[in-house]
Amino acid sequence: MLPDRALPDRALPDRMLPDGALPDRAHPRRARTDAPLRIGVVGTGFMGETHVAAWAAEGIRTVIHDVDAGRAATLAERHGARVAASLDELFGAVDVVDVCTPTHLHAAVAVAAARAGRHVICEKPMARTLADAEAMLAAAREAGVRLFVAQVVRFFPEYVAARAAVLDGAIGEPGVLRLSRASFRPRQPAGHWFFDHDKSGGIILDLMVHDLDYARWIAGDVVAVHCRSASVAQPDAGVDHAVAILTHRSGAISHVSASWGYAPPTFTTSFEIAGSHGLIEQSSTTTTPVMPSLLAGAASGGPTALADTSLAGDPFRLELAEFARAIRDGTEARIGAEDGLEALRIALAADESARTGAVVRITQGAR
Amino acid sequence: MAVDAQGRPPLRIGILSAEHVHAPTYISLLAAMPGAHLVGVWDEDRRRAATAAEPVGTRVFDDVDDLLERVDGVVIASANARHRRLVEIAAAAGVHVLCEKPLATTVVDARAILDACAHAGVHLMTAFPTRWNPAARALESAVRSGALGTPVFLEGANTGTMPDVHAPWFVDPTLSGGGAVTDHVVHLADLYRWILRSEVVEVYAVANRILQERFARVETGGLVSLRFASGVSATIDCSWSKPRSYPTWGGLSIQAIGTGGAFGIDAFRQHLGVYGTREAGISWPAWGPDADAGMLAEFLSAVREDREPAVTGTDGLRAVEIVDAAYRSITAGAPVTLG
Repeated sequence: MLPDRALPDRALPDRMLPDGALPDRAHPRRARTDAPLRIGVVGTGFMGETHVAAWAAEGIRTVIHDVDAGRAATLAERHGARVAASLDELFGAVDVVDVCTPTHLHAAVAVAAARAGRHVICEKPMARTLADAEAMLAAAREAGVRLFVAQVVRFFPEYVAARAAVLDGAIGEPGVLRLSRASFRPRQPAGHWFFDHDKSGGIILDLMVHDLDYARWIAGDVVAVHCRSASVAQPDAGVDHAVAILTHRSGAISHVSASWGYAPPTFTTSFEIAGSHGLIEQSSTTTTPVMPSLLAGAASGGPTALADTSLAGDPFRLELAEFARAIRDGTEARIGAEDGLEALRIALAADESARTGAVVRITQGAR
Repeated sequence: MAVDAQGRPPLRIGILSAEHVHAPTYISLLAAMPGAHLVGVWDEDRRRAATAAEPVGTRVFDDVDDLLERVDGVVIASANARHRRLVEIAAAAGVHVLCEKPLATTVVDARAILDACAHAGVHLMTAFPTRWNPAARALESAVRSGALGTPVFLEGANTGTMPDVHAPWFVDPTLSGGGAVTDHVVHLADLYRWILRSEVVEVYAVANRILQERFARVETGGLVSLRFASGVSATIDCSWSKPRSYPTWGGLSIQAIGTGGAFGIDAFRQHLGVYGTREAGISWPAWGPDADAGMLAEFLSAVREDREPAVTGTDGLRAVEIVDAAYRSITAGAPVTLG
């Protein structure tokens, strides 16, 4: 049995090609000259900068806003963006608002943008609470604007290739999935929103949500969630290692691990999808095609680990270009806002299970 | 009769049943060990005994008592459900026992096995050879030395091909006791207990029969979450998830997380990649140290020194209790407590 939200068959192959390999009829550059979308990015932290850079690589000069005007100005200079002094100014200057604020602020910005008649792209996780995510969906529906959630793993080529292999019947029906994402604790100062569970939702909402969404993309809706977590850094520093066990409605089961317990500069991802007729294995530790061992400048690195997307066709560019295309052409992207909400629902269930010790049962796909 | 390096006569060892896929390995290793004299093989199926005995030219016994009279210790390698009867016979004959894992298919049988050996005054060892795997020992050392700090989470996978290719009884629940959960939880559960020096207090498990084309009468996929008395959590992927086309039988890996960082092991990573003719296909022959040899040597030493083996019958019982709790959790759909 394949996942409920399988893409339309003819939509998949084009989207799996690297950007430059797209056939002419779908080439974003050609289409953009017909109807250039104006893009605004709200929030210029780690992910805001990643998105501004990706838009710039797509040839789009973004309008950006941040409560920290100095940081916005620095970023604008670096990537050739323009700074808006207020949200209203930004809303007035763009067609699409790309929300890259801290998680707990996603809903407020997204709802305001929708009410201003702007399409919305929202960084993952969709929101801090289900109520917030529902409010975002309702606001977009009422305003008649599009809403996308940037679960970028759906654009990473190894994950895309594995899904294509599953849809192609290479391993039969998915039965047991094991997904892992291992890194170090983000190097941010104490008091940073990232470490505030009320604001970020912690490692489960921030990191594990990638693989929770992917597990659902491969094996379909989830009906039960069990999760155990641990603290590595200090007893009161919050969770930095968690493992969820999911039961999918199809009967498939998934083991999803997320860790900030490794030493810098570790950032490894791996997955195994076992099916009725075969097995797919992937690990970044054996498929990263460059192996530098340079004496100078060992392991400086940024504050937060991020996959080296220069080796993988920049999934952030592919993602944002696909959302822009979907908005312009009125088509679907490979992930809808409802998928973002369902990924959040699983993550919140995992967080609850980790706290209470109980199995949390959820209802998905009932709409 | 030959003597070992210390000039002592070798211990006389017999094999009770060659039903298990590991029996030929034990037979060839024991035949070559200076401290052991392999007396012979008994199996209720005489042809199976003959097939197992043939490569090393050891004797085939038709009568189990005949073999037991001539040995100091036995290795029991029958189907899981027959362990209890054979241990009871061996113990009654005053013979020390190394029993294949899982020790039994029920907690009742595992306790009976311990009682029989205790009553007879013979030593009982459970066959958990992975404790002699060098990667597993390196992880145990990293925890013991404090290099990993305080362990907080262990994640493991012991996955493999469906073992019905070796012997059909593996997928007959009346003989095996169950599928992937019975077959593959005990190794990691035992390693975790050994590494953490703590007992499991809670078990959650899920399982299905999707893998291996849904042909099996037992579960082929399983995921288990354990909670230890020390507060550490641990998980096990025990699935028979390797297809027949996989270049090796399977593997065992652990990612350990502690306050000192992370420590990963892949116990069977020491292998070649051999890409032969189309007919031969791809294979990964292992070249790492043989953990079975370390385990057998420990059994011989324990018997010779009249001491408890490094892996005891109690270790086997604890693993069976964890498997039993996993099945109870699968039925309940919720975590169950243990101990």
